[in-house]
Amino acid sequence: MKNLAIQLDGVGKKYRYFTLDNIQLQLPPGQIMGLIGPNGAGKSTTIRILMGLIHQDQGEVRVLGHRMPAEQVAAKWDIGFASEDMRLYDVMTLDWHMRFIRSIYPQWDPAYAQLLLKRFGLMAEQKIKGLSHGQRVKATLLLVLARRPRLLVLDEPTTGLDPVARHEILRELTAVMNDEGRSILFSSHNTQDVEQISDQITFIDRGRIIDSMDKEAYLDRWRRLRLEAPTGIELPALPGVISIRQTGRLAVATSNEFGPGIARAYENSGARVQTIENMTLEEIFVAKVELSREEHQEVGA
Amino acid sequence: MTRSLVRTLILADWERHRWPVIFCIASGVLALGLIQVGGELPFIFGATWFFTGLIVLACILPGSNVINERKKQTLPFLMSLPISITQFTAAKIVSTVGLFIIPWLTLVIAAVLYIAGHEKFPNGSIPVVIALASLVLVGFCLIAGVALVSESEGMMVAAMVVSNSSYGFGWYLLVRNAVIRADMKNPEIVWNTEILTVLGFEFAVIVLILGLTFYLQSRKRDFV
Repeated sequence: MKNLAIQLDGVGKKYRYFTLDNIQLQLPPGQIMGLIGPNGAGKSTTIRILMGLIHQDQGEVRVLGHRMPAEQVAAKWDIGFASEDMRLYDVMTLDWHMRFIRSIYPQWDPAYAQLLLKRFGLMAEQKIKGLSHGQRVKATLLLVLARRPRLLVLDEPTTGLDPVARHEILRELTAVMNDEGRSILFSSHNTQDVEQISDQITFIDRGRIIDSMDKEAYLDRWRRLRLEAPTGIELPALPGVISIRQTGRLAVATSNEFGPGIARAYENSGARVQTIENMTLEEIFVAKVELSREEHQEVGA
Repeated sequence: MTRSLVRTLILADWERHRWPVIFCIASGVLALGLIQVGGELPFIFGATWFFTGLIVLACILPGSNVINERKKQTLPFLMSLPISITQFTAAKIVSTVGLFIIPWLTLVIAAVLYIAGHEKFPNGSIPVVIALASLVLVGFCLIAGVALVSESEGMMVAAMVVSNSSYGFGWYLLVRNAVIRADMKNPEIVWNTEILTVLGFEFAVIVLILGLTFYLQSRKRDFV
Protein backbone atom coordinates (compact mmCIF):
# COMPACT_ATOMS: atom_id res chain seq x y z
CA MET A 1 0.00 0.00 0.00
CA LYS A 2 2.85 2.32 0.88
CA ASN A 3 4.28 2.05 -2.63
CA LEU A 4 1.17 3.15 -4.50
CA ALA A 5 1.60 6.18 -6.74
CA ILE A 6 -1.94 7.33 -5.98
CA GLN A 7 -4.32 6.21 -3.27
CA LEU A 8 -7.71 7.78 -2.63
CA ASP A 9 -9.70 6.23 0.17
CA GLY A 10 -13.32 7.24 0.84
CA VAL A 11 -12.79 10.71 -0.56
CA GLY A 12 -15.78 13.04 -0.67
CA LYS A 13 -16.41 16.64 -1.55
CA LYS A 14 -19.75 18.41 -1.40
CA TYR A 15 -20.74 21.39 -3.53
CA ARG A 16 -24.18 22.94 -3.81
CA TYR A 17 -25.08 21.14 -7.03
CA PHE A 18 -22.49 18.36 -7.13
CA THR A 19 -21.14 15.77 -4.75
CA LEU A 20 -18.06 13.65 -5.14
CA ASP A 21 -18.95 10.54 -3.21
CA ASN A 22 -16.70 7.95 -1.57
CA ILE A 23 -13.97 7.87 -4.21
CA GLN A 24 -11.69 4.82 -3.99
CA LEU A 25 -8.77 4.82 -6.38
CA GLN A 26 -5.43 3.06 -6.45
CA LEU A 27 -2.67 3.45 -9.00
CA PRO A 28 0.42 1.24 -8.60
CA PRO A 29 3.75 2.61 -9.82
CA GLY A 30 4.62 1.95 -13.45
CA GLN A 31 0.98 1.91 -14.56
CA ILE A 32 -1.14 4.20 -16.73
CA MET A 33 -4.66 4.71 -15.48
CA GLY A 34 -7.33 6.22 -17.69
CA LEU A 35 -10.05 8.05 -15.81
CA ILE A 36 -13.06 8.13 -18.08
CA GLY A 37 -16.24 10.03 -17.43
CA PRO A 38 -18.77 12.23 -19.16
CA ASN A 39 -18.61 16.01 -18.76
CA GLY A 40 -19.32 16.98 -15.17
CA ALA A 41 -18.67 13.46 -13.86
CA GLY A 42 -16.09 14.59 -11.29
CA LYS A 43 -12.83 13.84 -13.12
CA SER A 44 -11.36 17.31 -12.65
CA THR A 45 -12.54 17.57 -9.04
CA THR A 46 -10.91 14.22 -8.24
CA ILE A 47 -7.68 15.32 -9.92
CA ARG A 48 -7.67 18.69 -8.16
CA ILE A 49 -8.14 16.97 -4.83
CA LEU A 50 -5.25 14.61 -5.46
CA MET A 51 -3.10 17.58 -6.49
CA GLY A 52 -3.99 19.38 -3.22
CA LEU A 53 -5.60 22.26 -5.15
CA ILE A 54 -8.91 21.72 -3.40
CA HIS A 55 -9.37 20.06 -0.02
CA GLN A 56 -11.56 17.00 0.37
CA ASP A 57 -14.33 17.14 2.98
CA GLN A 58 -13.67 13.53 3.94
CA GLY A 59 -11.38 10.62 3.16
CA GLU A 60 -7.66 10.20 2.79
CA VAL A 61 -5.49 11.05 -0.20
CA ARG A 62 -1.92 9.88 -0.64
CA VAL A 63 0.19 10.73 -3.64
CA LEU A 64 3.68 9.20 -3.93
CA GLY A 65 3.38 8.39 -0.24
CA HIS A 66 2.55 11.98 0.76
CA ARG A 67 -0.70 12.92 2.51
CA MET A 68 -2.63 15.49 0.52
CA PRO A 69 -3.22 18.36 0.84
CA ALA A 70 -0.99 18.66 3.93
CA GLU A 71 2.18 17.45 2.19
CA GLN A 72 1.45 18.83 -1.26
CA VAL A 73 4.70 20.78 -1.51
CA ALA A 74 6.81 17.66 -1.02
CA ALA A 75 4.59 15.64 -3.37
CA LYS A 76 4.56 18.21 -6.18
CA TRP A 77 8.32 18.07 -6.64
CA ASP A 78 7.72 14.67 -8.29
CA ILE A 79 4.39 15.32 -10.00
CA GLY A 80 3.95 16.72 -13.48
CA PHE A 81 0.46 18.18 -13.77
CA ALA A 82 -1.25 19.51 -16.87
CA SER A 83 -4.92 20.20 -17.34
CA GLU A 84 -7.12 21.29 -20.18
CA ASP A 85 -7.88 24.59 -18.41
CA MET A 86 -4.24 25.35 -17.66
CA ARG A 87 -2.65 28.22 -19.59
CA LEU A 88 0.86 29.61 -19.82
CA TYR A 89 1.68 33.34 -19.73
CA ASP A 90 0.65 34.46 -23.19
CA VAL A 91 2.95 37.50 -23.43
CA MET A 92 6.04 35.46 -22.52
CA THR A 93 7.95 33.09 -24.80
CA LEU A 94 8.19 29.33 -24.47
CA ASP A 95 11.89 29.84 -23.78
CA TRP A 96 11.01 32.07 -20.79
CA HIS A 97 8.76 29.31 -19.44
CA MET A 98 11.49 26.72 -19.96
CA ARG A 99 14.01 28.86 -18.06
CA PHE A 100 11.41 29.45 -15.34
CA ILE A 101 10.72 25.73 -14.83
CA ARG A 102 14.40 24.87 -15.15
CA SER A 103 15.22 27.33 -12.33
CA ILE A 104 12.77 25.48 -10.07
CA TYR A 105 13.38 21.79 -10.84
CA PRO A 106 16.96 20.54 -10.48
CA GLN A 107 16.02 17.38 -12.39
CA TRP A 108 15.12 19.40 -15.54
CA ASP A 109 16.60 17.62 -18.54
CA PRO A 110 17.72 20.24 -21.12
CA ALA A 111 18.61 17.65 -23.77
CA TYR A 112 15.18 16.04 -23.49
CA ALA A 113 13.56 19.49 -23.61
CA GLN A 114 15.38 20.23 -26.89
CA LEU A 115 14.33 16.83 -28.23
CA LEU A 116 10.69 17.54 -27.35
CA LEU A 117 10.92 20.96 -28.99
CA LYS A 118 11.91 19.21 -32.21
CA ARG A 119 9.42 16.37 -31.92
CA PHE A 120 6.54 18.73 -31.20
CA GLY A 121 7.64 21.22 -33.86
CA LEU A 122 7.81 24.12 -31.39
CA MET A 123 10.01 27.20 -31.47
CA ALA A 124 11.32 28.29 -28.07
CA GLU A 125 11.52 31.96 -29.00
CA GLN A 126 7.84 32.14 -29.93
CA LYS A 127 5.42 33.90 -27.59
CA ILE A 128 2.66 31.72 -26.18
CA LYS A 129 -0.04 33.99 -27.60
CA GLY A 130 1.23 33.17 -31.09
CA LEU A 131 0.76 29.41 -30.64
CA SER A 132 -2.23 27.38 -31.78
CA HIS A 133 -4.24 25.39 -29.23
CA GLY A 134 -2.40 22.19 -30.13
CA GLN A 135 0.98 23.90 -29.84
CA ARG A 136 0.02 25.32 -26.43
CA VAL A 137 -0.90 21.86 -25.18
CA LYS A 138 2.40 20.51 -26.50
CA ALA A 139 4.30 23.42 -24.88
CA THR A 140 2.65 22.66 -21.53
CA LEU A 141 3.50 18.97 -21.86
CA LEU A 142 7.08 19.80 -22.76
CA LEU A 143 7.39 21.81 -19.54
CA VAL A 144 5.91 18.91 -17.59
CA LEU A 145 7.83 16.06 -19.24
CA ALA A 146 11.30 17.67 -19.30
CA ARG A 147 11.31 17.90 -15.51
CA ARG A 148 11.15 14.06 -15.48
CA PRO A 149 8.40 13.62 -12.87
CA ARG A 150 7.71 10.24 -11.22
CA LEU A 151 3.98 10.78 -11.64
CA LEU A 152 2.14 12.50 -14.47
CA VAL A 153 -1.37 13.75 -13.76
CA LEU A 154 -3.07 14.88 -16.94
CA ASP A 155 -6.60 16.25 -16.92
CA GLU A 156 -8.08 16.00 -20.43
CA PRO A 157 -4.79 16.81 -22.17
CA THR A 158 -5.98 15.80 -25.63
CA THR A 159 -9.27 17.74 -25.66
CA GLY A 160 -9.66 19.86 -28.76
CA LEU A 161 -6.57 18.49 -30.51
CA ASP A 162 -6.44 17.29 -34.11
CA PRO A 163 -5.69 13.57 -34.68
CA VAL A 164 -2.03 14.18 -35.56
CA ALA A 165 -1.36 16.25 -32.43
CA ARG A 166 -3.21 13.67 -30.31
CA HIS A 167 -1.13 10.90 -31.78
CA GLU A 168 2.13 12.81 -31.10
CA ILE A 169 1.18 13.41 -27.50
CA LEU A 170 0.00 9.87 -26.83
CA ARG A 171 3.19 8.51 -28.40
CA GLU A 172 5.28 10.70 -26.10
CA LEU A 173 3.30 9.59 -23.05
CA THR A 174 3.83 5.96 -24.00
CA ALA A 175 7.56 6.65 -24.40
CA VAL A 176 7.65 8.13 -20.90
CA MET A 177 6.54 4.76 -19.56
CA ASN A 178 9.76 3.14 -20.76
CA ASP A 179 10.99 4.16 -17.34
CA GLU A 180 9.17 1.59 -15.26
CA GLY A 181 9.07 3.65 -12.10
CA ARG A 182 6.79 6.24 -13.67
CA SER A 183 3.02 6.38 -13.45
CA ILE A 184 0.36 8.33 -15.30
CA LEU A 185 -3.18 9.25 -14.37
CA PHE A 186 -4.90 10.45 -17.49
CA SER A 187 -8.47 11.73 -17.55
CA SER A 188 -10.53 12.05 -20.68
CA HIS A 189 -13.97 11.63 -22.12
CA ASN A 190 -12.31 10.37 -25.29
CA THR A 191 -12.26 6.60 -24.80
CA GLN A 192 -10.11 6.02 -27.89
CA ASP A 193 -7.19 7.91 -26.34
CA VAL A 194 -7.54 6.13 -23.04
CA GLU A 195 -7.88 2.72 -24.70
CA GLN A 196 -4.71 3.36 -26.68
CA ILE A 197 -2.35 3.91 -23.77
CA SER A 198 -3.91 2.82 -20.48
CA ASP A 199 -3.23 -0.30 -18.42
CA GLN A 200 -6.09 0.36 -16.06
CA ILE A 201 -9.44 1.99 -16.61
CA THR A 202 -11.64 3.74 -14.08
CA PHE A 203 -15.14 4.88 -14.99
CA ILE A 204 -16.60 7.81 -13.09
CA ASP A 205 -20.11 9.21 -13.40
CA ARG A 206 -22.10 11.72 -11.36
CA GLY A 207 -19.43 11.93 -8.70
CA ARG A 208 -19.06 8.18 -8.13
CA ILE A 209 -16.55 5.61 -9.34
CA ILE A 210 -18.72 3.07 -11.12
CA ASP A 211 -16.00 0.60 -12.07
CA SER A 212 -12.25 0.24 -12.07
CA MET A 213 -10.18 -2.59 -13.46
CA ASP A 214 -7.49 -3.76 -15.85
CA LYS A 215 -8.16 -2.66 -19.46
CA GLU A 216 -7.70 -6.15 -20.87
CA ALA A 217 -10.13 -7.54 -18.30
CA TYR A 218 -12.77 -5.11 -19.56
CA LEU A 219 -12.23 -6.01 -23.17
CA ASP A 220 -12.17 -9.75 -22.36
CA ARG A 221 -15.29 -9.81 -20.22
CA TRP A 222 -17.66 -7.60 -22.15
CA ARG A 223 -19.54 -9.00 -25.16
CA ARG A 224 -22.60 -8.11 -27.17
CA LEU A 225 -24.77 -11.06 -28.30
CA ARG A 226 -27.21 -10.66 -31.17
CA LEU A 227 -30.04 -13.14 -30.72
CA GLU A 228 -33.01 -14.31 -32.69
CA ALA A 229 -35.87 -15.34 -30.42
CA PRO A 230 -38.86 -17.01 -32.13
CA THR A 231 -42.30 -15.87 -31.01
CA GLY A 232 -43.27 -17.41 -27.70
CA ILE A 233 -39.70 -17.84 -26.53
CA GLU A 234 -38.86 -15.80 -23.47
CA LEU A 235 -35.19 -15.00 -23.07
CA PRO A 236 -33.97 -16.00 -19.60
CA ALA A 237 -32.40 -13.53 -17.18
CA LEU A 238 -28.83 -14.82 -16.86
CA PRO A 239 -26.12 -13.90 -14.39
CA GLY A 240 -23.48 -11.81 -16.16
CA VAL A 241 -25.98 -10.31 -18.59
CA ILE A 242 -26.65 -6.71 -17.67
CA SER A 243 -29.20 -5.80 -20.32
CA ILE A 244 -31.42 -7.30 -23.00
CA ARG A 245 -33.11 -5.06 -25.55
CA GLN A 246 -35.64 -6.85 -27.72
CA THR A 247 -37.36 -5.60 -30.86
CA GLY A 248 -39.70 -8.19 -32.32
CA ARG A 249 -37.77 -11.41 -32.93
CA LEU A 250 -34.39 -9.76 -32.60
CA ALA A 251 -32.67 -9.08 -29.30
CA VAL A 252 -29.33 -7.68 -28.19
CA ALA A 253 -27.88 -8.91 -24.88
CA THR A 254 -24.93 -7.21 -23.22
CA SER A 255 -22.74 -9.26 -20.94
CA ASN A 256 -20.11 -7.93 -18.53
CA GLU A 257 -19.03 -11.43 -17.43
CA PHE A 258 -19.05 -13.29 -20.70
CA GLY A 259 -18.42 -17.01 -20.83
CA PRO A 260 -19.46 -19.73 -23.30
CA GLY A 261 -22.17 -20.76 -20.84
CA ILE A 262 -24.18 -17.64 -21.63
CA ALA A 263 -24.48 -18.40 -25.36
CA ARG A 264 -25.33 -22.03 -24.50
CA ALA A 265 -28.04 -20.94 -22.08
CA TYR A 266 -29.70 -18.80 -24.76
CA GLU A 267 -29.50 -21.65 -27.30
CA ASN A 268 -31.05 -24.00 -24.73
CA SER A 269 -33.91 -21.54 -24.20
CA GLY A 270 -34.80 -21.83 -27.90
CA ALA A 271 -33.14 -18.62 -29.11
CA ARG A 272 -30.51 -18.57 -31.83
CA VAL A 273 -27.22 -16.76 -31.23
CA GLN A 274 -26.49 -14.88 -34.47
CA THR A 275 -23.22 -13.20 -33.48
CA ILE A 276 -21.03 -12.62 -30.43
CA GLU A 277 -19.24 -9.28 -30.77
CA ASN A 278 -16.35 -7.71 -28.89
CA MET A 279 -17.17 -4.29 -27.51
CA THR A 280 -15.08 -1.16 -27.76
CA LEU A 281 -14.15 0.69 -24.60
CA GLU A 282 -16.60 3.42 -25.59
CA GLU A 283 -19.45 0.92 -25.87
CA ILE A 284 -18.49 -0.63 -22.53
CA PHE A 285 -18.32 2.82 -20.96
CA VAL A 286 -21.75 3.86 -22.25
CA ALA A 287 -23.30 0.52 -21.14
CA LYS A 288 -21.70 0.82 -17.73
CA VAL A 289 -22.89 4.42 -17.25
CA GLU A 290 -26.44 3.51 -18.30
CA LEU A 291 -26.48 0.51 -15.96
CA SER A 292 -25.11 2.58 -13.09
CA ARG A 293 -27.70 5.31 -13.61
CA GLU A 294 -30.53 2.76 -13.78
CA GLU A 295 -29.33 1.10 -10.57
CA HIS A 296 -28.95 4.45 -8.89
CA GLN A 297 -32.48 5.48 -9.88
CA GLU A 298 -33.89 2.19 -8.57
CA VAL A 299 -32.13 2.68 -5.23
CA GLY A 300 -33.39 6.27 -5.10
CA ALA A 301 -36.96 5.28 -5.99
CA MET B 1 14.21 24.93 -1.70
CA THR B 2 10.79 26.45 -1.00
CA ARG B 3 12.17 29.84 -0.03
CA SER B 4 14.08 29.95 -3.30
CA LEU B 5 10.88 29.00 -5.16
CA VAL B 6 9.02 31.91 -3.56
CA ARG B 7 11.88 34.16 -4.68
CA THR B 8 11.71 32.67 -8.20
CA LEU B 9 7.98 33.44 -8.40
CA ILE B 10 8.56 37.01 -7.21
CA LEU B 11 11.32 37.57 -9.78
CA ALA B 12 9.14 36.06 -12.53
CA ASP B 13 6.31 38.46 -11.63
CA TRP B 14 8.70 41.38 -11.65
CA GLU B 15 10.07 40.39 -15.03
CA ARG B 16 6.59 40.13 -16.50
CA HIS B 17 5.51 43.53 -15.17
CA ARG B 18 8.65 45.58 -15.58
CA TRP B 19 7.28 47.76 -18.40
CA PRO B 20 4.30 49.31 -16.53
CA VAL B 21 6.66 50.05 -13.63
CA ILE B 22 9.29 51.66 -15.87
CA PHE B 23 6.56 53.60 -17.64
CA CYS B 24 5.15 54.86 -14.31
CA ILE B 25 8.57 56.04 -13.12
CA ALA B 26 9.20 57.80 -16.46
CA SER B 27 5.75 59.38 -16.30
CA GLY B 28 6.37 60.65 -12.73
CA VAL B 29 9.73 62.13 -13.72
CA LEU B 30 8.10 63.90 -16.69
CA ALA B 31 5.41 65.26 -14.34
CA LEU B 32 8.12 66.69 -12.06
CA GLY B 33 9.73 68.16 -15.18
CA LEU B 34 6.46 69.90 -16.01
CA ILE B 35 6.36 71.45 -12.54
CA GLN B 36 9.89 72.69 -13.21
CA VAL B 37 8.49 74.88 -16.04
CA GLY B 38 7.07 77.16 -13.34
CA GLY B 39 3.74 78.90 -12.95
CA GLU B 40 0.47 77.80 -11.36
CA LEU B 41 -0.97 75.85 -14.30
CA PRO B 42 2.11 73.64 -14.95
CA PHE B 43 2.28 73.03 -11.19
CA ILE B 44 -1.36 71.89 -11.02
CA PHE B 45 -1.02 69.76 -14.18
CA GLY B 46 2.34 68.33 -13.06
CA ALA B 47 1.15 67.48 -9.52
CA THR B 48 -2.07 65.91 -10.84
CA TRP B 49 -0.15 63.92 -13.46
CA PHE B 50 2.36 62.80 -10.82
CA PHE B 51 -0.32 61.36 -8.53
CA THR B 52 -2.47 60.08 -11.40
CA GLY B 53 0.44 57.94 -12.61
CA LEU B 54 0.73 56.32 -9.19
CA ILE B 55 -3.04 55.85 -8.89
CA VAL B 56 -3.27 54.24 -12.34
CA LEU B 57 -0.41 51.85 -11.49
CA ALA B 58 -2.16 51.05 -8.18
CA CYS B 59 -5.22 50.02 -10.19
CA ILE B 60 -3.40 48.15 -12.98
CA LEU B 61 -0.98 45.99 -10.97
CA PRO B 62 -3.44 44.00 -8.82
CA GLY B 63 -5.51 43.24 -11.91
CA SER B 64 -2.53 42.22 -13.98
CA ASN B 65 -0.55 40.35 -11.32
CA VAL B 66 -3.36 38.81 -9.27
CA ILE B 67 -6.77 38.75 -10.99
CA ASN B 68 -5.34 37.76 -14.37
CA GLU B 69 -3.80 34.61 -12.84
CA ARG B 70 -7.34 33.26 -12.48
CA LYS B 71 -8.93 35.07 -15.42
CA LYS B 72 -6.26 33.95 -17.88
CA GLN B 73 -6.09 30.50 -16.27
CA THR B 74 -2.41 30.61 -15.36
CA LEU B 75 -3.19 29.85 -11.71
CA PRO B 76 -3.28 26.04 -12.24
CA PHE B 77 0.17 26.34 -13.85
CA LEU B 78 1.56 28.13 -10.80
CA MET B 79 -0.21 25.87 -8.33
CA SER B 80 1.16 22.77 -10.05
CA LEU B 81 4.57 23.89 -8.81
CA PRO B 82 5.82 22.66 -5.42
CA ILE B 83 4.30 25.54 -3.49
CA SER B 84 1.57 25.82 -0.85
CA ILE B 85 -1.27 28.35 -0.77
CA THR B 86 0.50 30.26 2.01
CA GLN B 87 3.75 30.43 0.03
CA PHE B 88 1.87 31.48 -3.09
CA THR B 89 0.17 34.25 -1.09
CA ALA B 90 3.48 35.40 0.34
CA ALA B 91 5.02 35.46 -3.15
CA LYS B 92 2.08 37.39 -4.60
CA ILE B 93 1.95 39.94 -1.76
CA VAL B 94 5.69 40.58 -1.93
CA SER B 95 5.79 40.73 -5.73
CA THR B 96 2.70 42.93 -6.12
CA VAL B 97 3.54 45.30 -3.27
CA GLY B 98 7.18 45.33 -4.39
CA LEU B 99 6.20 46.18 -7.96
CA PHE B 100 4.32 49.19 -6.63
CA ILE B 101 6.77 50.17 -3.89
CA ILE B 102 9.65 50.51 -6.37
CA PRO B 103 8.08 53.29 -8.49
CA TRP B 104 6.26 54.72 -5.46
CA LEU B 105 9.45 55.07 -3.43
CA THR B 106 11.45 56.27 -6.44
CA LEU B 107 8.92 58.98 -7.19
CA VAL B 108 8.41 60.00 -3.55
CA ILE B 109 12.20 60.34 -3.14
CA ALA B 110 12.37 62.24 -6.45
CA ALA B 111 9.56 64.57 -5.30
CA VAL B 112 11.22 65.15 -1.91
CA LEU B 113 14.59 65.88 -3.53
CA TYR B 114 12.87 68.13 -6.04
CA ILE B 115 11.16 70.17 -3.31
CA ALA B 116 14.34 70.27 -1.22
CA GLY B 117 16.29 71.49 -4.24
CA HIS B 118 13.93 74.32 -5.17
CA GLU B 119 13.53 77.37 -2.99
CA LYS B 120 10.17 78.27 -4.47
CA PHE B 121 8.68 75.16 -2.78
CA PRO B 122 8.87 75.29 1.05
CA ASN B 123 10.43 72.21 2.64
CA GLY B 124 7.50 72.17 5.06
CA SER B 125 5.40 70.66 2.26
CA ILE B 126 7.57 67.48 2.21
CA PRO B 127 5.71 65.69 5.08
CA VAL B 128 2.38 66.50 3.39
CA VAL B 129 3.60 65.12 0.04
CA ILE B 130 4.72 61.94 1.84
CA ALA B 131 1.35 61.65 3.62
CA LEU B 132 -0.54 62.21 0.35
CA ALA B 133 1.57 59.61 -1.46
CA SER B 134 1.13 57.20 1.46
CA LEU B 135 -2.62 57.43 1.05
CA VAL B 136 -2.17 56.14 -2.52
CA LEU B 137 -0.07 53.31 -1.04
CA VAL B 138 -2.90 52.50 1.39
CA GLY B 139 -5.36 52.48 -1.52
CA PHE B 140 -3.07 50.21 -3.52
CA CYS B 141 -2.76 47.74 -0.61
CA LEU B 142 -6.54 47.67 -0.26
CA ILE B 143 -7.03 46.96 -3.99
CA ALA B 144 -4.29 44.30 -3.98
CA GLY B 145 -5.61 42.66 -0.79
CA VAL B 146 -9.19 42.50 -2.07
CA ALA B 147 -7.94 41.15 -5.42
CA LEU B 148 -5.95 38.38 -3.73
CA VAL B 149 -8.62 37.29 -1.29
CA SER B 150 -11.68 37.61 -3.54
CA GLU B 151 -10.01 36.71 -6.88
CA SER B 152 -12.93 38.63 -8.33
CA GLU B 153 -12.66 41.45 -10.84
CA GLY B 154 -15.92 42.95 -9.58
CA MET B 155 -14.72 43.08 -5.98
CA MET B 156 -11.41 44.56 -7.10
CA VAL B 157 -13.22 47.28 -9.05
CA ALA B 158 -15.30 48.01 -5.93
CA ALA B 159 -12.06 48.37 -3.94
CA MET B 160 -10.73 50.71 -6.64
CA VAL B 161 -13.87 52.87 -6.37
CA VAL B 162 -13.49 53.06 -2.58
CA SER B 163 -9.76 53.86 -2.82
CA ASN B 164 -10.03 56.40 -5.58
CA SER B 165 -12.95 58.15 -3.88
CA SER B 166 -11.06 58.35 -0.62
CA TYR B 167 -8.03 60.16 -2.07
CA GLY B 168 -9.78 63.49 -2.65
CA PHE B 169 -11.50 63.28 0.71
CA GLY B 170 -8.30 62.29 2.52
CA TRP B 171 -6.26 65.04 0.89
CA TYR B 172 -8.98 67.58 1.69
CA LEU B 173 -8.97 66.58 5.38
CA LEU B 174 -5.18 66.70 5.44
CA VAL B 175 -4.74 70.24 4.10
CA ARG B 176 -7.78 71.47 6.02
CA ASN B 177 -5.95 70.84 9.29
CA ALA B 178 -4.75 74.25 10.52
CA VAL B 179 -1.46 73.01 11.99
CA ILE B 180 -0.55 70.99 8.92
CA ARG B 181 -1.53 73.85 6.60
CA ALA B 182 0.56 76.31 8.59
CA ASP B 183 3.63 74.04 8.69
CA MET B 184 3.37 73.39 4.95
CA LYS B 185 4.57 76.94 4.34
CA ASN B 186 7.52 76.59 6.72
CA PRO B 187 10.90 76.75 4.91
CA GLU B 188 12.07 73.87 7.14
CA ILE B 189 10.58 70.36 7.45
CA VAL B 190 8.29 70.14 10.48
CA TRP B 191 7.18 66.73 11.74
CA ASN B 192 4.28 67.88 13.87
CA THR B 193 2.06 65.52 15.89
CA GLU B 194 -0.78 65.78 13.38
CA ILE B 195 1.28 64.67 10.38
CA LEU B 196 2.98 61.91 12.41
CA THR B 197 -0.45 60.67 13.52
CA VAL B 198 -1.64 60.60 9.90
CA LEU B 199 1.48 58.70 8.76
CA GLY B 200 1.21 56.29 11.72
CA PHE B 201 -2.44 55.66 10.90
CA GLU B 202 -1.66 55.04 7.22
CA PHE B 203 1.15 52.64 8.15
CA ALA B 204 -1.11 50.78 10.62
CA VAL B 205 -3.84 50.41 7.97
CA ILE B 206 -1.29 49.00 5.49
CA VAL B 207 -0.07 46.44 8.06
CA LEU B 208 -3.68 45.55 8.93
CA ILE B 209 -4.70 45.07 5.28
CA LEU B 210 -1.67 42.92 4.44
CA GLY B 211 -2.00 40.87 7.65
CA LEU B 212 -5.70 40.28 7.03
CA THR B 213 -5.00 39.31 3.42
CA PHE B 214 -2.44 36.75 4.54
CA TYR B 215 -4.74 35.37 7.22
CA LEU B 216 -7.79 35.04 4.94
CA GLN B 217 -5.72 33.47 2.16
CA SER B 218 -4.23 30.87 4.49
CA ARG B 219 -7.76 29.76 5.48
CA LYS B 220 -8.82 28.98 1.91
CA ARG B 221 -9.57 25.32 1.23
CA ASP B 222 -10.23 25.45 -2.49
CA PHE B 223 -7.77 27.24 -4.65
CA VAL B 224 -8.35 26.48 -8.29
